[in-house]
Amino acid sequence: MNKNKIKLDPSTKLLKIISYAVVTLWSVICIFPFVLVISASFSTESIISREGFGLLPKGFTLSAYEWVFRYPKMILGSYGVTIAMTVLGTALGLFIIAMTGYALQRKDFPLRNVISFFIYFTTLFSAGMVPTYLWVSGTLGLKGSYLAVFLQLLMSPWLIVLMKNFAKSVPYEITESGKIDGAGDFRIFLSLIFPMLKPALATVGLFLALGYWNEWYQSSLYLGSSVTYKPLQYYLYGIINQANALKSSVAGANVTITDLPTNTLKMATAVVATGPIIFLYPFVQKYFISGITVGAVKG
Amino acid sequence: MKKKTSQGTNAAVAVPYKKRSSLFKSLWNSRTLMLMCLPAIIFFIVFNYCPLPGIWIAFTNYNFRGGIFGSPFCGLDNFEFLINSGELWLLTRNTILYNLAFIVLGNIFQIVIALMLNEIRNKWFKKVSQTVMFLPYFISVVLIGAIAFNILNYDTGALNTLIRETGGDPLQIYSQAGIWPFIIFFCNMWQQTGYGSVVYFAAICGIDSSMVEAAEVDGATSWQRIRHIILPSLKGTFIILLLFALGGIMRGNFGLFWNLTGGVNSQLFETTDIIETFVYRTMTTQNNFSTSSAVGLYQSLFGFVLVMISNWVVKRIDPDYALF
Amino acid sequence: MRKTNTRKRAIALVMASMMAMSLAGCGGGNDDANKGSSSNSGSTATSTSTSTGGEIDTSSHEVINMLVLGNRPTNGRLEAMLEQLNAILNEKVNAELEYTYVEWTDWQTQYNLQLLSGDTSLDLICTATDWLYGWENVIKGAFMPLTEDMLQTYAPNTYAQVTEDDDWEICKYDGDIYFIPEDNYIQYTNHGMFYRGDWAAEAGIPDGTITEFEQLTTYFQWIKDNQPDCIPWDVPGKNNTAGILGGYLTSKTDYTLFNGVGVGNYTDFWGVMQSDPGTVVSPYMESDALYDAAELMKEWNDMGVWREDVLNFDGDSREEMYAGTSGADQHHAQTYYSSIVPNMEAKQPGSDPKFYYWGMENQNVAHPLKLHQACAISANSQHPERALMVYDLLRTDEECYRLLNYGIEGEDYVVTDDGKLARPDGWDQSTDALDSNFWLGRNDDLELQDSTWWDGTQDFIANLNSIGYDYPFENFIIDTASIESKQAALANVLSKYIPQLAYGKFDDPRAAIDDMREELKAAGYDEVKASIQEDLDAFVAEHGEVQFVRGE
Repeated sequence: MNKNKIKLDPSTKLLKIISYAVVTLWSVICIFPFVLVISASFSTESIISREGFGLLPKGFTLSAYEWVFRYPKMILGSYGVTIAMTVLGTALGLFIIAMTGYALQRKDFPLRNVISFFIYFTTLFSAGMVPTYLWVSGTLGLKGSYLAVFLQLLMSPWLIVLMKNFAKSVPYEITESGKIDGAGDFRIFLSLIFPMLKPALATVGLFLALGYWNEWYQSSLYLGSSVTYKPLQYYLYGIINQANALKSSVAGANVTITDLPTNTLKMATAVVATGPIIFLYPFVQKYFISGITVGAVKG
Repeated sequence: MKKKTSQGTNAAVAVPYKKRSSLFKSLWNSRTLMLMCLPAIIFFIVFNYCPLPGIWIAFTNYNFRGGIFGSPFCGLDNFEFLINSGELWLLTRNTILYNLAFIVLGNIFQIVIALMLNEIRNKWFKKVSQTVMFLPYFISVVLIGAIAFNILNYDTGALNTLIRETGGDPLQIYSQAGIWPFIIFFCNMWQQTGYGSVVYFAAICGIDSSMVEAAEVDGATSWQRIRHIILPSLKGTFIILLLFALGGIMRGNFGLFWNLTGGVNSQLFETTDIIETFVYRTMTTQNNFSTSSAVGLYQSLFGFVLVMISNWVVKRIDPDYALF
Repeated sequence: MRKTNTRKRAIALVMASMMAMSLAGCGGGNDDANKGSSSNSGSTATSTSTSTGGEIDTSSHEVINMLVLGNRPTNGRLEAMLEQLNAILNEKVNAELEYTYVEWTDWQTQYNLQLLSGDTSLDLICTATDWLYGWENVIKGAFMPLTEDMLQTYAPNTYAQVTEDDDWEICKYDGDIYFIPEDNYIQYTNHGMFYRGDWAAEAGIPDGTITEFEQLTTYFQWIKDNQPDCIPWDVPGKNNTAGILGGYLTSKTDYTLFNGVGVGNYTDFWGVMQSDPGTVVSPYMESDALYDAAELMKEWNDMGVWREDVLNFDGDSREEMYAGTSGADQHHAQTYYSSIVPNMEAKQPGSDPKFYYWGMENQNVAHPLKLHQACAISANSQHPERALMVYDLLRTDEECYRLLNYGIEGEDYVVTDDGKLARPDGWDQSTDALDSNFWLGRNDDLELQDSTWWDGTQDFIANLNSIGYDYPFENFIIDTASIESKQAALANVLSKYIPQLAYGKFDDPRAAIDDMREELKAAGYDEVKASIQEDLDAFVAEHGEVQFVRGE
């Protein structure tokens, strides 16, 4: 009955129409360049550098993909490394972040402000690339180790604060009810709070996973050429940049350049890098459900 | 459980003074919470605090023999070039204005999109559109630059091809500084909106559904629901995002600016040059580690002061939303 | 209320002191590590210099790590080669060679980070004074000083050859040798324009050969008029912001640049005129030829020699030239004889590819730099003696040299009947390349002539040898640290004006140049010039009057 009433309300109806229209429009804007990317990746280099991109491939060819998959073993290895890091890093990072975020929003935790500041402070001042590099690669001895990349992406102040904010919206009654049952703080967190944080876990987990998936910077600093299988984005970044570096005359070095399809190659790498992770989002999305009700807690 | 109580009494015995005992007692009672924070604390000590003394490099003339702490001290020499360039004001202005636009307008748009997604009931449509809006986030800025060039350039760009076909005069976009703030802002929105709206969308999902139901029962329209229930509950998220962004207000998204404008096209510098692109361009052939650290320090100090002030203000108004 | 405040304060204090302790601890560790490595390198250096004469002790097996630039090959050819090479090295000097690659992705940062990390595992390092910050890294202490004794003892063949060519002098800083130069390898990297002889002839240029800068205008105009599908010169201005202003200055004045003192992207800013080799000058500031150059570029821009958005274009003019959509391409001599000629002959038969190099018309061409590449020993090397022994074999032992540079005979390369380098059937550059990139000491005595290169290569090089002069500033070391911030200010001014001058984007280039010069002056041009002049005076005082010796 109620639902019917709401549907009849004209302003609500208007809002719905606007919503559908705007979301559709923005989606088209988002997907349009992607269509260009896909079509360019199947185009012939010399044609698109003359005529520009089109919505359909110009001079259909697979040569850019042949370049990307020139060494299938390498790219599969890269996928393996990145997937392993993403899965492990997201799981571990998410758990630590959720734990910390929950603790930091507890009003009865005397250190919450001190620790919050301690964590937040790191976003304001960082030592900068060189000192950090010397510390991590030299003193910690992580140069050439996947750990250097894995560990540094494990958490960020931003995600902890985000989690803390989400955890705030979980009613304190839940914690209290756990306490009455005689459960310890960790037990309360693990068995009562953690399941209630689903939208937050989905959000933070998604961000963590994207962080791992898109990572190339730390890899370029700490892994360089010392590992056989580079993380995917770094591997692809290398393909793109190799084309750029070798083609520009900046490098005084005499390098024999083979026929690299520069522009189309860039586009093909984008398709290869993005393809699999696109499927992650719908999977994550099912956790975005309005779930928390006080009634559920009390009942 | 048993352990906890026995240790609790030990601690109480060990601290005889009343005042202290209450402090230690409350600390002791929250020891599990402390332990829960410990992994994160260790993480930040190891990866963020330990290298921090290395910031000293900004005040040295770095050499390999001496390392960070053994290289000759050179005072503020590394900051000199930024000040002497005569561009400091322009660069600072551009950087801050762009960031303000990204923060304020960008967030508003993200909230709008999140609200609209929430109105959409068709599950299939919701899923597809959200996924599609996420796509731009995966495209590296190098490619965004390439795509933009392919749409906007004079000779072969898609936009100008269209204009020519319809009989208009093609636009020389890459030599007109005036329109670039809009292009850059649009590209930034294009890339960040899908990603950013997830935070708000999750926050909306986290709203106590009984409140929403109650409002529906009371016959509230969608507009009323949004105004009185949803928007107020997004305030916290928005303020936190704002405070985080303020800390980095002097830092620009180097990749986006460099790749969109090409980095070297001086016809556009007036409106597109930010601190990062300037440093990169002028220091590119100089094998110098200290200068970039000096610039980073300048940006940090500025952000630090700004955040401390804003956090203090927020705390005054509503301590719940303060960061610390 | 007060209670909670004091409590908070106490806790904050505890946290703060914890932080401080952790910081102090970490900082200290950092410091020690740096000191450790630096004192370490000092001691190894002294120990080697004293241990001369007598039998060389090679009883312990050592791994010698070589830093090169390039992408680590993934096709397994390098490993196959190293296996054979290491068997030889093991037998001869009880050592094995290991590779560290600095990949082309962000190579400038990567290279400097490799040196920065104070890695004690590095031994042999590829360096260069013109493109790899050679002298700067010497001054900053990244490399180990080498004594003549040491070189003579551990790298006798190399020592003999470099001594014979009298090239140690250019490798010295403060009296110590820091580089082993790649001085017995001819590689011309003087830039110029590649163009098509067939079109040039049709354009009415005598013999289809461009010998003067202005003839390029004729050539481009002809393409504009007669080849509608071809952009005369589809230059990626984004990657080449100075265009060919420098080429014009070289061709119209007797300017010679200093290496290693680039102003931002503009590496040819400082130098001297050959007619007055004792006076530092920048033609960008002081030569009238810049006006002519800028006006010519404006003419070209108005003609449509390049695309409208040239400064944002980063396409590939070489590929386009092969495909017939660009009428010209700009790069250096070695690219011409190794790639342009064979590719154009295959892809555009009858195109008669030619090369107009800067300085052709006024014979302003320098011989190749001897320190265009060189080998240095890492300051942190744990076994510099063995590293030198390995290096000597790699550079002067024919078997090792061929293995290292060409791979396994029969699999990676074959030698033709007339003694040239060729590839086995089915060999494909893009998948089978060895990429060993031994640019630390290639050696013409052992190089095989590449059969795929242009047949005229040898004559072409001989001609350049005969007209060129020896670059007199190989070991002219400029104190870049003291002028750094002023140089950055100059770079800022240049980055505003040069790209638009180089591609004719100012309506009035003359006025723009005058504005630029005024701004350069305000940014500290004279101070930087005076500082470099001081270095030059010291250089002259030490090495005598600068001379430009022509011919071989």
